[in-house]
Amino acid sequence: MNAEPCERSRHGKPESGPNDLAAFLCRLRAQMASGERGAALPEVSNAALREVTSEEGLADRFVASARAAGVQARCLAATDWLNAVQEVLRGHGARLVVVAGQTGTALDDDRAAALVNALGATGISVSTEPNDDVLFACDAAVTGVAAAIAETGTLVCASGPRSPRGVSLIPPVHIALVDERQIVGDLFDYFARLDPTTLPANINLITGPSKTADIEGILVTGVHGPGIVHALVLAAP
Amino acid sequence: MDGRVVSGDDARMDVGFFVTCLTDTFFPRVGEAAVRVLRHFGCRVHFPPQQTCCGQPAYNSGFHEHAAALLRRMPKAFASCEFVVTPSASCAAMIKEHGPQLAGVQADEVRRLAAKTWEFCTFLRDRLHVNIAACLKPREPVTFHYPCHARGIYEVTDLREWLGRLDVRPPPRTDLCCGFGGLFAVDFPELSGRMLDDKLEMLAASGARLVICNEAACTLQMAGGAHRRGLPLRFRHLAELLAESLELMEGEA
Amino acid sequence: MSRRSDLRQRVAQATRNERVLQAVHLATWRKVDAREQSFAALRHAGALREKAARLRRHTLENLPAYLAQFVERATALGATVHFAPDGPAACRIITQLAADRGLRLAVKSKSMTSEEVGLNAALEAIGVRVVETDLGEFIVQIDRDRPSHIITPIIHKDRREVADAMARELGCPRTEDPAELTRIARGYLRDIFRRCDLGITGVNFAVAETGTLCLCTNEGNGRMTITRPRVHVALLGIEKIIPRLADLPVFLKLLARSSTGQPMGVYTTLINGPRRPQDPDGPQELHIVLLDNGRSAILKSPLREVLTCVRCGACLNACPAYRNVGGHAYGSVYPGPIGSVVTPLLYGPACDDLARLSSLCGACRVACPVQIDIPALLVALRARAADRQPVGKRLLLRIWRHVMEHPWLYRLGQTVLRCVLRGAEDGWVRSGQGPLRNWTLVRDLPRPARESFRRMWEARLRDER
Repeated sequence: MNAEPCERSRHGKPESGPNDLAAFLCRLRAQMASGERGAALPEVSNAALREVTSEEGLADRFVASARAAGVQARCLAATDWLNAVQEVLRGHGARLVVVAGQTGTALDDDRAAALVNALGATGISVSTEPNDDVLFACDAAVTGVAAAIAETGTLVCASGPRSPRGVSLIPPVHIALVDERQIVGDLFDYFARLDPTTLPANINLITGPSKTADIEGILVTGVHGPGIVHALVLAAP
Repeated sequence: MDGRVVSGDDARMDVGFFVTCLTDTFFPRVGEAAVRVLRHFGCRVHFPPQQTCCGQPAYNSGFHEHAAALLRRMPKAFASCEFVVTPSASCAAMIKEHGPQLAGVQADEVRRLAAKTWEFCTFLRDRLHVNIAACLKPREPVTFHYPCHARGIYEVTDLREWLGRLDVRPPPRTDLCCGFGGLFAVDFPELSGRMLDDKLEMLAASGARLVICNEAACTLQMAGGAHRRGLPLRFRHLAELLAESLELMEGEA
Repeated sequence: MSRRSDLRQRVAQATRNERVLQAVHLATWRKVDAREQSFAALRHAGALREKAARLRRHTLENLPAYLAQFVERATALGATVHFAPDGPAACRIITQLAADRGLRLAVKSKSMTSEEVGLNAALEAIGVRVVETDLGEFIVQIDRDRPSHIITPIIHKDRREVADAMARELGCPRTEDPAELTRIARGYLRDIFRRCDLGITGVNFAVAETGTLCLCTNEGNGRMTITRPRVHVALLGIEKIIPRLADLPVFLKLLARSSTGQPMGVYTTLINGPRRPQDPDGPQELHIVLLDNGRSAILKSPLREVLTCVRCGACLNACPAYRNVGGHAYGSVYPGPIGSVVTPLLYGPACDDLARLSSLCGACRVACPVQIDIPALLVALRARAADRQPVGKRLLLRIWRHVMEHPWLYRLGQTVLRCVLRGAEDGWVRSGQGPLRNWTLVRDLPRPARESFRRMWEARLRDER
């Protein structure tokens, strides 16, 4: 640690704010200077600690892990996506659906438009830019994902100009379209691919439906987030 | 391998027996058994009379000055012994793990003592190469208690291995604390008592009535609790079982 | 906090509450089994724990640098970072910014740190309504109770009590069905989430490299809290920092397994500043309050290892003392094994006795994902407090030491003990005096042997062959 001279806060009074923090850090640094320095920073490399070591069969592994976490997950041919989504929505008796398409995901603009049309044709109300009323009243939301993780059956949703945080949170049913090629093996893989310089404001790693066991240890789903999560994994062509 | 040595005096190891204050006072039969077994496997056993206590109760309660004073008496008491063997894993751990830090200017002496100090069962296995399981004669179903402070000296798997040939009924949650904890037992007696209840329930659930317990403090706690509650559990140190199996001692009722 | 005889009494009283202790037994054993199963399935459990422990220790040893880096990065992302040297300062900062912005309705996602500083009371004092949104904390709040476990706050309550509280406070039809009770709470809190303007959360990990805050929850209230209100306040102790984004998964792989036995918690939320200009939702402002409140003092002490805690609760679940006394008896925001160490360190000598509420069995150390040696820390705390132990006890130990230093006194002592502890005909003592009274309160004592080992050795054993 460099022994820097500590600056006094300009007003010499205890106030919050960056000045105070700088003074605190300076004092702390000085007080710790003589302390032990036993632990070197461990290398990032986590290759030896991975659960999922193969690049093969990630889709199946994802589905298995997701199901274990309470997600209704399955693989299907990419061409079946529209039927699959409609079937799920029918199964839930959905009348008002939010569709949040996002470029670069399995629910890109083309597919989103196709879905909106198809749903509209069957008399289901659709919103692509939901306000609060719609969000809190809708029956389901259909989204793509930023990534998926096979080890834990995790869906990753990131905030962006066309993907509100609330879409995968507020509706009671969340249907996520996942392109098989978006699935990484291990949690370590996901974080290794994140670019620390271009992080969106909010990233959510979603592993299953919202749940609690606070009352007598009894598991209850659908507390504040969606109680039902579908993951439809579309096979790569 | 039985391991009994029949060659001359020169081949025998010099073992200083550290009986420990609780075993000395409450369970002398354990000490007797251990000595007989050590002799059977070829050791020359000494009992340095200056020994008293390793200081563990004081150490755990935070009275480190007192603990250090007692710990520092030990190197001299056992100076002439090649090995120091004790039937208590917690006392062995006290000497080996905490001794050096309490030793002050006697650090080297205490370190040497620590290096030659052994818990009884691990000494038999690792120095005398005794197959403990092979020596034991099954008599009745047994269950066992794994003492918390044996961690670092031997594991549950070791104890299971040593009991190998017997009809072993493991209790649920083998390493659950008996609730003794040194002065804790009298500082918070109601809590210690409840922890004891849990432990006795586990032991009773095993279906066996003979409990192998290699720790005098735990035996005081559990036997005292079993007696108060009218539970038909008996407690023995593995040394006693060994001595009886090898016919070095009569079995007790 | 807890004074000497107070603690003994509180503990004695707590051990008589059969209903609560039965609930605590059930819940903790379930968690212990879930944790063990889940770790057995983890390929590199040992290596991960090693690495997690090293990462935490390294960070603490270099905390000033990492804190500085975190502040710089978080600020660059658009967050405002505040520093609170103590609890009152944290409350001042947060109430000030709430008042300045006319905020009236706050939602709170579970935060031990906010309970540590008494934030709710401070906000309510200036007219801000604070609603706990974690189901367990919500029930604690409406029932005017206290949490008894750092992860499952109402481990001590049964469904009857929950039903009573909710019917009474929310005016809903009374039901004891957990799913129905949860549904009612969900509906109530959804309305609050729609209207709230301030969101307060704790933080599980703060990443120095990127200025990221990581929040781990299961219910979704954490996500609601950082999505709905226009201002988000994140309160965290300075020890929550980890060096790099790539270190996060090391902890994530261990946290949920240690807490609840799941491979992964439901929601792992990464926050990188407030909403971006083009984002359709999210808070407009993010205020990060870094709290000291005694942590820097601990950092400079030999007990700094305790700051590597990741608040998983595994030690509470593993602890046989906690299991038989419940969380309330500790009298602290932080109960259980980790609480016995952290409470005396944060709140001072009045809480020293908590360090003695343990048999030092080490189950906590085995369960801890970052390998904190809690028994060693407890012994160190006991050593610091030894001089403040009762005079009678200190005298007794001095006498005991003297006896043990002189073998002739020791032998005499054995004879005396045998005489005094006469006991019944069967050789058992059922009631004792003085220090033995507490022993015989709950168990018998075997009478000392007629012939001690050393007498036997001298009489026969030495010369046998």
